[in-house]
Amino acid sequence: MDDYILQLEGVTKIYGKARAVDSSSLQIKRGEVFTLLGPSGCGKTTTLRMVAGLERLDEGRVLYKGIPVADPANRIFVPPHKRNMGMVFQSYAIWPHMTVMENVGYPLRLRGVGGSQLRDQVAKVLELVGMSAMIDRPAPMLSGGQQQRVAICRAIIYEPELLLLDEPFSNLDAKLRNQMRVEVKLLQRRLGITVLFVTHDQIEALTLSDRIAVMSEGHIEQVGSPSEMYDNPATPFVRDFLGQTVVLKGKLSAGSDGRVGFAMTDGASRGTVLYSKKHTLKEVTQDADAFLSIRPEDIQVLPMAEGGLAENSLPGKIEALLFVGDRYEARVLLPDGASILLHLSRTGGWKEDQPVQLALPPERTHVWPA
Amino acid sequence: MASVNAAPGGLTGFIDRGRKIELQFILMTILFACVAFVVLTPMWQILTQSFQVSKPGEAARWGFEGWKAVFTETSLQKAAWNTVTLSVTRQLFALTGAIFIAWLLARTDVPGRKIFEFVFWLAFFLPALTITLSWILVLDPQFGLLNQLLRGFKDGNGPFNIYSFAGIVWVHVMGTSLAVQVMILTPAFRNMNSAFEEASRISGASTMGTMVRIFIPLMMPVIVAVLMLSFLRSLEAFEIEQILGTPIGLYVFSTWIYDTLYQHIPRYDAVSALAIVMILLCTGLIFLQRRVVGKRQYTTVTGQFVSNPIRLGKWRIPTAVFLGFMCIIIVGVPMVFSVMGTFMKLFGFFIQDPWTLKQWETALKDRLLARAVGNTIVLAVSTAIVAIAVHSLIAYVIVRTRYVARSALDFLTWMPFTIPGIILSLGLLTMFLQPQFRPLYGTMPTLVIALVISGMPFAVQIMKSNLMQISKDLEEASFVSGGNWFHTYRRVVLPLISPTLVVIGVISFISSARNISQVALLSNTSIRPMSIMQLDYIAEGKYEVAAVIATILLFMSVILALVARVFGFRGVGSNQ
Repeated sequence: MDDYILQLEGVTKIYGKARAVDSSSLQIKRGEVFTLLGPSGCGKTTTLRMVAGLERLDEGRVLYKGIPVADPANRIFVPPHKRNMGMVFQSYAIWPHMTVMENVGYPLRLRGVGGSQLRDQVAKVLELVGMSAMIDRPAPMLSGGQQQRVAICRAIIYEPELLLLDEPFSNLDAKLRNQMRVEVKLLQRRLGITVLFVTHDQIEALTLSDRIAVMSEGHIEQVGSPSEMYDNPATPFVRDFLGQTVVLKGKLSAGSDGRVGFAMTDGASRGTVLYSKKHTLKEVTQDADAFLSIRPEDIQVLPMAEGGLAENSLPGKIEALLFVGDRYEARVLLPDGASILLHLSRTGGWKEDQPVQLALPPERTHVWPA
Repeated sequence: MASVNAAPGGLTGFIDRGRKIELQFILMTILFACVAFVVLTPMWQILTQSFQVSKPGEAARWGFEGWKAVFTETSLQKAAWNTVTLSVTRQLFALTGAIFIAWLLARTDVPGRKIFEFVFWLAFFLPALTITLSWILVLDPQFGLLNQLLRGFKDGNGPFNIYSFAGIVWVHVMGTSLAVQVMILTPAFRNMNSAFEEASRISGASTMGTMVRIFIPLMMPVIVAVLMLSFLRSLEAFEIEQILGTPIGLYVFSTWIYDTLYQHIPRYDAVSALAIVMILLCTGLIFLQRRVVGKRQYTTVTGQFVSNPIRLGKWRIPTAVFLGFMCIIIVGVPMVFSVMGTFMKLFGFFIQDPWTLKQWETALKDRLLARAVGNTIVLAVSTAIVAIAVHSLIAYVIVRTRYVARSALDFLTWMPFTIPGIILSLGLLTMFLQPQFRPLYGTMPTLVIALVISGMPFAVQIMKSNLMQISKDLEEASFVSGGNWFHTYRRVVLPLISPTLVVIGVISFISSARNISQVALLSNTSIRPMSIMQLDYIAEGKYEVAAVIATILLFMSVILALVARVFGFRGVGSNQ
């Protein structure tokens, strides 16, 4: 057997006529933090709930530790309470009629632990998140952050091998969210637990994950490490969903040195050719419509030189300049009429209305089919 | 953390043969079939009965005589006219008064408004018959206290006569309509953003002008809803008309049905045909209300708003006095006079040395009363228990499962709302007279069934809204933690819904204990509860014992209402 703790094979969920999750396959390795990332309604939460057993599959199968836990074709379905996974809900689902002790101790009590042993174990797990002093506090008296810590404790107290997190940080304020992210990451490293994490927040996904699967409309668009996904997105959806992207419209033209040529077709730079080392074209056809993309932080902004534009550059003009302390934020007008937001160093001596040249390094740009 | 990794049961070899789903499905279908049966059978029985023209005991014969009677008989047309005019007059007074009182309670700074609101809430629970009896003590043409005062304790009749059109309207407005309307309108009025009124005041309108031009139009949807609801209830009103109207030959739909069935030759066909007309009328009213209210959204209630009370200024004290007076009339009179009646030698005769303990002694020795008390307790307790179990189960299926027929089930539970009490009683009577159900006829379970059906729309509704407020995550968190369905129900669901279950139980208990119209046709001497005994005794002129029963029912209702309040019941309109 390989080292996959969880395998999804062609998993499908149908609501009425809509395929909320459409034959998705994933393999999650033991000990990694795996994130399902996508906009709301993309099927990521449904996928997580199918793993937990809270939703039934319509097609495909789920294997947990190599054993099928859901396989409609063979009429196999292990109900959630037999799967032995931990889960933290978006709403935390802290039972309001119980104390912290009762909430966290619930799974252990169901596993036959009682008395002082139960209390000791609850106290131990609460210590991990710095809440041991609140063991007897009634649930309605907890703040949002405390509720979340309790929810995490309840999910990990019986040492499940897989922890499912459903948008656990979305109900916290920005400051608390950053703090909890770090705490969860540290906790995961300490316990060596496998985490399947669902979020719509790209920063959360990039910072926490070992690997990410980006989902859109029930499909998995791409799976990879955060830096892979960011630097080499496989689809326009992934490119636009993760981080900022500048996209230019144009046509393919003659390349050189294994680089693809891309000619601008709109505005003042019409005919200017840019070269790119990366592309996702099936075949390179002259004059075919295409797009060229680059991350804004990869664009090098230089004052306009006397001798005109350097190779692989576009002219631009600073429309508005905002000083934000450690840098400038500039709105730069491109030759095709679009304007983009770029960060400029505070030492450049920039002015509004200043003409600039924007260098687009060939190893940083990417050509896409139209 | 010690290692406790073993899940209860185990992971391997778990094969789902789909049996679990099937079992759940079968159970829910059985529930659905039972509900459909008890709700639809009475209506079906009434429908067939309306074409069955043979006399009781004769072989079945079909015809249209019953329907002909509905459209030709003058006594019936009179009853129809009375029903409509009585309802309209009542609503005219009640709604005007209720809007004004609810506005005072919700939007102004009248002193003691919390207490006044509580009194109006309490008034909702007073049994109608007790109120009627108390008002007879005050307004009877001969011995009514007020009439005696006004004519200086001389012989003859005073200016007021409770046995009249006006008398029925008065008792209804003060005894039933006003309280329930204030109870629904007040929370709705309170939720309106006061900026709407303040904008009107700044534009130059007076307090009253603002109320008429801004407030009432904005609140129109809820006012219309309340009006329709009250009108529906007044179409089925029974006991007040029976006591105050029948002696003077003033009949309404429900009392006409009751009396026609108690004649020498009961005319089931005509009664059933009339019942169908009434059900159609009520259903029509409900659809009308849904259309009117559905068109307009409650855009006046927004997430964030301030509700600053309107300052009444120099009117503060007079307004408080007015509300205090209203409270005395709607709660004070019934409470004081029903108790007073039990201590009088002769009901209503304020002669020299009128007081005695004899009535209580007689009543407490009365074996019929003792049996009726026993019957009421058995009836109310069983109804409460069945209602808690059945209605919470129905609500759970509607809210929490994906059962295919759940919206049909929802519709079925709402249907009894359109069936006037006396007609439900009639339908069940006809059903239990059928050979296959005959053994049940005249037994306690028939009364319990009638009361469980009539309480269904309300109880299922409050249970549904309670369940919807409990996030499904709370249950799922328990499943994921290793809890099976039973654990989850016992440790998570039950503790969270138990306050509502207590409320349903208590409300079912109160309404069964004082209920008359739903059980009127189904009870006999051996299973007769206190409420029906009270009706019978008033009809026979045995006011003294009736007053004792009235007092017992009154205080039982009030005490239990307070119990329900402790468990969070605030009103029918506010969804807790």
